[in-house]
Amino acid sequence: MAAVLTDSTLEPLAGQVTPTAAIKASMLEKVRAIAVGDLAAMADAIDRQGTYPKAVLKQLGAAGALSAHLRLDGQHDYVAAIQAMAEVSRVCGATGFMVWCHDACGLYMEESGNPALMGQALRDHASGHTLGATGLSNPMKTFAGIETFLLHARKVEGGYRVNGTLPWVSNLGPDHYFGAVATVENTDSATSEASGHEIMFIVRCDAEGVELRNCPSFSAMEGTNTWAVRLTDHFIGADTLVADPARPYIGRVRAAFILLQCGMGLGVTQGAIDSMWDVERALGHVNEFLDERPDELQAELDALTERTMRLARTPFATDTEYLIDVCDTRAHAAELALRAAQSALLHHGARGYLMSSAVQRRVRESHFVAIVTPAIKHLRKEIARLSATVAQA
Amino acid sequence: MTAQAWRTFICRACGWIYDEALGDADGGLPPGTRFEDIPDDWACPLCGVSKADFEPCEPLPVLRRTSASAAASAGHARGGRRDAGVVIVGAGRAGWQMAQSLREHDAHLPITIVTACPGNVYDKPLLSVALAKGIAPASLVRESAEQAAARLGVRLLARTQAISVSVGARALRTTRGTLRYRHLVLAHGADPIDLPNLPPALCWRINHLDAYLNFRDRLGEPGALPPQRVLIAGAGLVGCELANDLALAGYPVTLLDLCERPLSSLLTEAQSNELLAAWRDLPLTFVGGVDITGVRASGSSRTVSAQDGRQFEAEHVIAAVGLRTPSRLAQSAGLSWNNGIAVDPLTLHTDVATIHALGDCISIGGEALRFIEPIARQARQIAATIRGETSEPYVRAAPPVRVKTGSKGFTVVR
Repeated sequence: MAAVLTDSTLEPLAGQVTPTAAIKASMLEKVRAIAVGDLAAMADAIDRQGTYPKAVLKQLGAAGALSAHLRLDGQHDYVAAIQAMAEVSRVCGATGFMVWCHDACGLYMEESGNPALMGQALRDHASGHTLGATGLSNPMKTFAGIETFLLHARKVEGGYRVNGTLPWVSNLGPDHYFGAVATVENTDSATSEASGHEIMFIVRCDAEGVELRNCPSFSAMEGTNTWAVRLTDHFIGADTLVADPARPYIGRVRAAFILLQCGMGLGVTQGAIDSMWDVERALGHVNEFLDERPDELQAELDALTERTMRLARTPFATDTEYLIDVCDTRAHAAELALRAAQSALLHHGARGYLMSSAVQRRVRESHFVAIVTPAIKHLRKEIARLSATVAQA
Repeated sequence: MTAQAWRTFICRACGWIYDEALGDADGGLPPGTRFEDIPDDWACPLCGVSKADFEPCEPLPVLRRTSASAAASAGHARGGRRDAGVVIVGAGRAGWQMAQSLREHDAHLPITIVTACPGNVYDKPLLSVALAKGIAPASLVRESAEQAAARLGVRLLARTQAISVSVGARALRTTRGTLRYRHLVLAHGADPIDLPNLPPALCWRINHLDAYLNFRDRLGEPGALPPQRVLIAGAGLVGCELANDLALAGYPVTLLDLCERPLSSLLTEAQSNELLAAWRDLPLTFVGGVDITGVRASGSSRTVSAQDGRQFEAEHVIAAVGLRTPSRLAQSAGLSWNNGIAVDPLTLHTDVATIHALGDCISIGGEALRFIEPIARQARQIAATIRGETSEPYVRAAPPVRVKTGSKGFTVVR
């Protein structure tokens, strides 16, 4: 707790802890400038040459885009965080995804209550000085009954030893770190009444027993520094533990985790709509025969954005109706991104089919929004589970 | 050549149809019994109201879509999108009736039903008289969902949750995808009220066929050992009818209510006393003035505790404490809400021209009237609105309510 107390004494702008509208507007203004400037210039390289936009991520951190959803010493602002992610995704879906990866990791650290993961470590993370990621796809799917745990932990003196391989974790590098979950194996002699539990922790990529291995190529997201991570007797001690047990913790951060992702879907959709307007003057006379026109898509996007932002005011609510709404909003964002990106390709025709065109890149990015955990099908399954009335015992 | 064709008559209370050609064998009417020849003491086999509560009914034929007519209609739509048609949420009486009323006038209209349940067609009023009438659980389904969907040309998405409405995009979001609509009809009914003192894990809530079938399955045959005691919380219409039916079949029943007498909101004190007198010879104990604080499980039995310290034991607890309309869809669509989806008393319109609602989920002037009889009239009204026709104003009249407590029945005209 000492580190937490130190935080408030180090607060540089005492009395201005809540981000004002002006600060937020200036943050979004800076994010937009980075997106249409440096990021737009390298979006094609990120996509086709797998260039990792580290400098852009650092710029976004300096602009405040990666800290809006954190309390730090003031109040969190999920609306601003999602807007910033959307501005980035509007130009480059891969970078928007990495903003989410990093944001999710910040969420894990701040909610851990672990002084070693808060204080200076969290401030470095929030400013983009250090970069982090998330490896929670497998546990999220396991909790939903879709997969089984890939990481296994064994209780040892002073902590746990973890073994196993996560097939792909994005936004990694030798000096990066990410959040992960392992199931704790019951030792034979131990009391078997507890039917197993899980731990959540932060893995530093340069730590002992951590190996990054190459992944096969993906349809998009090549510049996201995505690796398979093999853990071999990797030690988890008090300084990297996020939650033990992990389930109640994940129940607490789950809505925020899913809600943040909406920024990707909203941004990719907006980018697609932007590109449709780009050809309206030249091709409007023929595009009017298409189904999904930019004005209709924009109206749907605006309504969805409003719904997202309404939910973003209470990211830590845990009631069932709220969770259903969050899952539904995230699914809608993915569906809309798919439709908008597809329609943008039809609006552009052959010029949008060029490998150098952002329009076809966005089609592949929208596929990612639809399949990244939680995927559309995963969200629907979760909504069905949440909606089912409790069965008679 | 018969002098006159067989006619049909509909029960105003429950919608059961008397067909002269078929008669009513259980009620002693052989096939071919003319309506005029039915004795006055005959009662509706479904809900028990009298012959006077029937009126002539001429079901309109369901127009079938043929490939020729489909081709003809396709010719009319020039370049426009395929008609998204009507999407109905709910496959209870209201949902199926809505599909029927739409299909009677339009063979081509695309109709989709989305329902969380399996969608089989059954008569809910029978659930509270099935034991006494000796209706086997398996024969409660009148028509399978697949058959009804095929008969009415309906695309059925069963076991599908409707999640939210995107009003601007005219789309219903569901757990099996997003459906565009030209008109959306909410017919999802109401759910049993969830009270923390009657936890769903320990208490049955019998508001639809599946729950009833599960309950009957667990209950076993009457007379089996050890005796299966049933405790019913709530002595309203459903609680009293179920208690009566179970007791007639021989199950020991305890019926609890916060009020001092059964059916206090529907019956006069004298009538309540008549009902209690009629129950005297049944294994049915009514205990009034009970404020239930909780239920706990101990082995296969449940103990229900009251505020005043009294305890009641039974193998099965049924919560029959009332219904509440789920608000999720209406709220997402921005519809006015007043103890249910608020609709106009004369036109049944909601706030949104393309969204309609009927049945148990609506309220008029803040009051929900959850009966069978108004549903068919509501469906006809809404079907006319969807066709763009003006129709006679809807008449809101509380139907006669038959209290189907077989040992002492009441017909209450409100």
